[in-house]
Amino acid sequence: MNEFEKLEAELKELRPLAPGEKFTSRLEKALGDAGNVAMCCLPEGEDGKARVEASFRESSKLVSFSRLVPWVGLAGLGLAAVWAMIFYLSSSLVPDGPEDRVVTDLPMVAQQPVSAPILFSNEDPDSPLHGLSLEQLQDVSVMPVSGWLDPQINERFLRVVDEGIFDRPGRLPARRVRHYFMDETLWSHPASDTRILSTTPREEVIFIELETY
Amino acid sequence: MTNDPMNTEPIWKSWFARHGAKLLLFARQQSRRPDEAEDLLQEAFVRIWRLYGHTGEVSPGLVYRAIRRLAIDWARSIDRRKVREDKVALDSPLSFSFERTLEQDERKRALLRAVERLSDQQKEVVTLKIWGELTFDEIARTLDESINTVASRYRYALEKLKDWVPEEMDGRKEDSSAQS
Repeated sequence: MNEFEKLEAELKELRPLAPGEKFTSRLEKALGDAGNVAMCCLPEGEDGKARVEASFRESSKLVSFSRLVPWVGLAGLGLAAVWAMIFYLSSSLVPDGPEDRVVTDLPMVAQQPVSAPILFSNEDPDSPLHGLSLEQLQDVSVMPVSGWLDPQINERFLRVVDEGIFDRPGRLPARRVRHYFMDETLWSHPASDTRILSTTPREEVIFIELETY
Repeated sequence: MTNDPMNTEPIWKSWFARHGAKLLLFARQQSRRPDEAEDLLQEAFVRIWRLYGHTGEVSPGLVYRAIRRLAIDWARSIDRRKVREDKVALDSPLSFSFERTLEQDERKRALLRAVERLSDQQKEVVTLKIWGELTFDEIARTLDESINTVASRYRYALEKLKDWVPEEMDGRKEDSSAQS
């Protein structure tokens, strides 16, 4: 290492003062939307965890199926009561002799009890499909019905395309930038090691106003 | 799910964390007043990032060039020139633009004092080369000079520093012995 190189190394050891937080936030305000055009992913940290937890809290606002079970049960009881009443009324209206044949042709209710008990007897209050119990549903779909975790939602940035400068009547010309994302939702069922991934493409367009000098 | 969507931040923040200190140093050198330096840096950075920020990466050389051109424009304005003339005496030395550590030895302080003695033209080349980490080609484009000019300015600056650093150290020693 010659003398100049040594001098250069000594100079490099001196570190310029970094701009303060106040200045950075001032810069953020001045940049406005232009600052959010390009984003980068950060490694997992406390902040990241907090955000994920917040997203899970959001997802927990969705009403889970298990919470609906008591209400479905009550609705089933109500339907059973209605069916019993209909059955009772229809049996009292069924004619005993041929002289009442005219009457029997009229009420539809007299014919309904024949099929209705079969339909409702198969009703499983926990099943989302009428006429199918949870077990049957599981057999038909070859998928487990309960034990799914809350879905994980992920927004994946794909690319950004600069579409050039656009004139806007009565406003400043602006650069149009289009962002492409892929929204992914992952459902997982740990017991059966089953995962379902749903992907939805999405686009966002941002106009960055240009300054006139 | 390796990419967490919510765990993102604007690229400019990491970019600025990497280059902000060097840019501010150069802005201070160009404006010669710390408060004007921040305005200068903000204006230059915002202009460049609005134009090229969507690409996700901006060459620092563009911001250095914007700082220099804005500094020239601002210096041409009468009001600012007056302010500059009024404030020249209050200029903070270059050493205030660097991190001060307890272990900063006498040699480093002498080095900064020697850099201070360089001409403005030499100082800006040294700043861009050492702390801005630009190539001679980039420096030449930033300063609108030829590569040969900036390279020779840099070489002369280092030669002067080589001579002046021992002088500065000796001078300090003499001062301190005279005081005692």
